[in-house]
Amino acid sequence: MASFHGLEQRPDVTAQIQRARALTEVRVPTEVRASSDTPKLDVDGTHSLEDAFELLAEMTQDFASSMDLDATLEKALASVAGHLDAEAGSLWLLDLEAEQISCRACVGPNPIVGMTLGMTQGIVGRSVMENACQSVFDVSKDPAFSSKADDESGMVTRSLLCAPMSFSGRKIGAIELINKKSDDGHFAQKDVHPLQVLASSAALAIANNRMAASLVDAQRVRRELELAAEIQRNLLPRARPDPFPIQGMNIPARTVSGDFFDILPVDGGLAFCLGDVSGKGINAALLMAKTASLYRCLAKTVSRPGDLLRQLNDEICETATRGMFVTMSAGVYDPRTGLVCLANAGHEPAVCHAEGGFTTFDAEAPPLGIVPEGDFPETELDMRGGSLYIFSDGLTEAADESGDQLGREGLERLVCDFEGVALAERVSAIVESVSMLDLRDDLTLLAVSDEHARAERGGGA
Amino acid sequence: MEHAVREEQGKLVVSFQGEVDLEHSPKAREVLLGAVKKKQDVLVDLSEVSYIDSSGVASLVEAFQSSKKAGSSFGLVSVNPAALRVLELARLDRVFTIHSTLAEGLGGGS
Repeated sequence: MASFHGLEQRPDVTAQIQRARALTEVRVPTEVRASSDTPKLDVDGTHSLEDAFELLAEMTQDFASSMDLDATLEKALASVAGHLDAEAGSLWLLDLEAEQISCRACVGPNPIVGMTLGMTQGIVGRSVMENACQSVFDVSKDPAFSSKADDESGMVTRSLLCAPMSFSGRKIGAIELINKKSDDGHFAQKDVHPLQVLASSAALAIANNRMAASLVDAQRVRRELELAAEIQRNLLPRARPDPFPIQGMNIPARTVSGDFFDILPVDGGLAFCLGDVSGKGINAALLMAKTASLYRCLAKTVSRPGDLLRQLNDEICETATRGMFVTMSAGVYDPRTGLVCLANAGHEPAVCHAEGGFTTFDAEAPPLGIVPEGDFPETELDMRGGSLYIFSDGLTEAADESGDQLGREGLERLVCDFEGVALAERVSAIVESVSMLDLRDDLTLLAVSDEHARAERGGGA
Repeated sequence: MEHAVREEQGKLVVSFQGEVDLEHSPKAREVLLGAVKKKQDVLVDLSEVSYIDSSGVASLVEAFQSSKKAGSSFGLVSVNPAALRVLELARLDRVFTIHSTLAEGLGGGS
């Protein structure tokens, strides 16, 4: 064994020793609880402290370099058991939910890995729950002693030394050594330090391992969300170049979106819709996928937007959960006439910009998925060569640095700013301007323009 | 968001204060469903609610639907103007019974 002076000449080891000393000093006040008949323990800890430093250096290295936690725990347990001349040792982890402790690693003649005890059972349970070291000279005289492990391993426990493991104030488990082979069979006070040192580094390694596992989980969830987002993007219609008269854009606030829009040719013109599912996240995204699919299916056969929303509402009501609902505007635009037939289920009012003025179209019915068998009135509007804007509240609620929301007036200003710009370009310019603000929700904008069709119809300017 | 539940004239009055948004709506949902479960008529006082988003409205919708199944009544009282604007814009005033005052909700007229 290297002497203390020898070690001090190596700066890296010295730093490690200093950290170890701090760790050990923190641990020293931990209560050492002993049975009443336990003989007075040797309190001269100097020698064991040096041993502890060397053990710690070795174990810290192992914990830091190995990815196999179980193997490392077992190796560390074996070295501390060997060092303290114990017949066997076991490491127990606490499962607060199951109110159990279970043996994760052990060394000794008969393995008991996987064995469970109630979290307050046995001396090991007491050590975990009280977060205190336990030193028991004769277990037969301690009523807390559980013989379950002995029954399983066939060993006879006489004396026992146990140190709790905790990290950031959270109980993790405990390490237990059984039957000192030398020194009249009793664990001494000086044996407490090395075991505490092992307990501290094992607790750190276990906490790190759990954190790494939860990171892996988070990455897996993230990958799955990205896949879901890709599927969602494919539910939206592909962009068609100008002069196609309906253009839309969606920017999710998170990975997945609760907004959607669709555009498809039908008998009598072009059908379009924009929907916004209540809430955010994966539950909103799933209801979005369902509503978007139902819309696409129904729009091919149901020509009137009011009828379509009524059927969509009944379908969503049948399987609605947790009060979730969908606000939605649906319409059909006929380029031959310049007329739009529009129905609005609880959605933000549509804004029509024609001949220099703005007109809004409020919802005439509540959102989809709340009350079945509803009526969804239709409004017919003459576009007169103008443009109709339908959007989710993520657009109007986008706020600047001082928290002022864009509002409908802000959207109308942007519409005026980009007047005369071709529709696809105009939609992306408006969305881009809004994206500069703080987005709190998914942002979706859909615009229907009658400008090109009116020119083709030969209507006046 | 803060909340309080009290009993008045045999009805449970649930009141919320502050913002009922995505962060707080799970708590609002728990409180509302807990009240509806008691099979008593429920009045939700929204006079101190400065902001309610769609997840907050969904909590109200779910509680409203549960009360319908349970055969008890569910109404909103003294809705703050900002929250009322949200509800009216989405035509949710056609879904919820909205009383302008607590006294009206309790059946004592406005």
